[in-house]
Amino acid sequence: MKALVWKDIYVLTRQMRIFLLLLVVFAVMPGYSMTTFATVYAAMMPFTAIAYDERSKWDSLAAMMPYSVKQIVTSKYVLGYGFVAGAALISAIAKVFVRGGLILSLTSLCVGLLIMALVLPLVFRFGVEKGRMAFVLIVVVVAVGGASLATGVASAVSGTSALQLTWWLAMAAIVSNIGSIWLSVRFYSRRMA
Amino acid sequence: MNAIELSHVNKAFGDFSIQDLSLTVPEGTICGLIGENGAGKSTTIRLLMHALRADSGNLSVLGIDVNAPEFLAVKQDVGVVLDEAYFPEVMDAVQVGKIMASTYTRWDAAQYAGFLDRFQLPRKKQFKDYSRGMTMKLAIAVALSHAPRLLVLDEATAGLDTIVRNEILELFRDFVSQPNHSILISSHILSDLEKLCDYIAFLHQGKLVVSEEKDRLLERYGLFSGTAEQFAALRAEAVAGVEHLAYGGVRALVRRAAAPAALSLEKPTIEDIILFLVKGEKAA
Repeated sequence: MKALVWKDIYVLTRQMRIFLLLLVVFAVMPGYSMTTFATVYAAMMPFTAIAYDERSKWDSLAAMMPYSVKQIVTSKYVLGYGFVAGAALISAIAKVFVRGGLILSLTSLCVGLLIMALVLPLVFRFGVEKGRMAFVLIVVVVAVGGASLATGVASAVSGTSALQLTWWLAMAAIVSNIGSIWLSVRFYSRRMA
Repeated sequence: MNAIELSHVNKAFGDFSIQDLSLTVPEGTICGLIGENGAGKSTTIRLLMHALRADSGNLSVLGIDVNAPEFLAVKQDVGVVLDEAYFPEVMDAVQVGKIMASTYTRWDAAQYAGFLDRFQLPRKKQFKDYSRGMTMKLAIAVALSHAPRLLVLDEATAGLDTIVRNEILELFRDFVSQPNHSILISSHILSDLEKLCDYIAFLHQGKLVVSEEKDRLLERYGLFSGTAEQFAALRAEAVAGVEHLAYGGVRALVRRAAAPAALSLEKPTIEDIILFLVKGEKAA
């Protein structure tokens, strides 16, 4: 799986240099919605990597190599986790002196993970082209909801409700990602049927 | 041991199907898989690498059933070259080497570097700037640099010029000269396969029409050239395929065993045999 993640990192860093720089800029910018935007943007990276795979027909070659379906699928999740966690970490460091900055970064991290959990099975099932509309819809709904949530967290940061909210969001992100990987593996396996 | 064994394999997709395909490639040999576009060559290769699931039948590679969990480890022993390289076009040869080092447990970086030098492949140039010949050479360098015992080549020489093709065929000969090394190669270029292969398998519309040792195949048939009257004297079972020429001439592929011993027959090429067999099937 290490090879598959590195392959995507090579491709994304070559193709997406400016976008990756923008991701860092969004993460460090003040404002709560910007942090969420940065993690949502980071959550798009596996989608982009799959699009490049489809363009080069990498999947045809990968199917011949000693990679299992589970490795191929989970490598995209691992890639996404890395980017989303990276964006959240940069944001947390940038907002270290802002009250509630850490909780805000955690909330944004969860939103990014939720987006990945919802989008990736659809992309593995329908491919990048067909999955694009669903992807845009999910990103808009979750990002708008996430930004509102982040603003809510910011305003509630003095109370315990912010922590509780983040806790539930984290649980939702973990459970949805477990289910999402399970579903994506099954959808990807169908391509070989 | 057989390097590849397919037994009564079936796979249907809409209007195309692989039907009752049985094929054996003994270890230490080269088998050429021949067939027109859409005959099922690439599908067969995908089935035997378990990139596609068969509807029925048994498939094994290097003695392991492709459906068994252990087959993933067998893929370490198989070098695959497809009709394109299929590496992401922004990557370069060095990055591919690093990825393959994490993919194959027996990756030999020195051997890979040796192939890059031998093929004069630039290390830092992105694939999108490679010519087709360079791309295919890189795919072959990858396939040969992890100590495979079996090479599976799907149109790996298509679109290459004669000089590059000969260079690559020479590499394949070197590979199979080592103990227990085998190759399954599909190609449209029958003259290449005739030079290279020990066995010929001919797929036509998803069915295996011929699967035989090349030399025996060449011995079994002869080419008849003569008049319509001379042709009419041949027994029907001796004729495998016929072509009527202008001015009453006839060319036919003849089964030597069923033809008169005195009949003068030319030695056919594999291409002659395949073309006549397809014609014979269409006429039937």
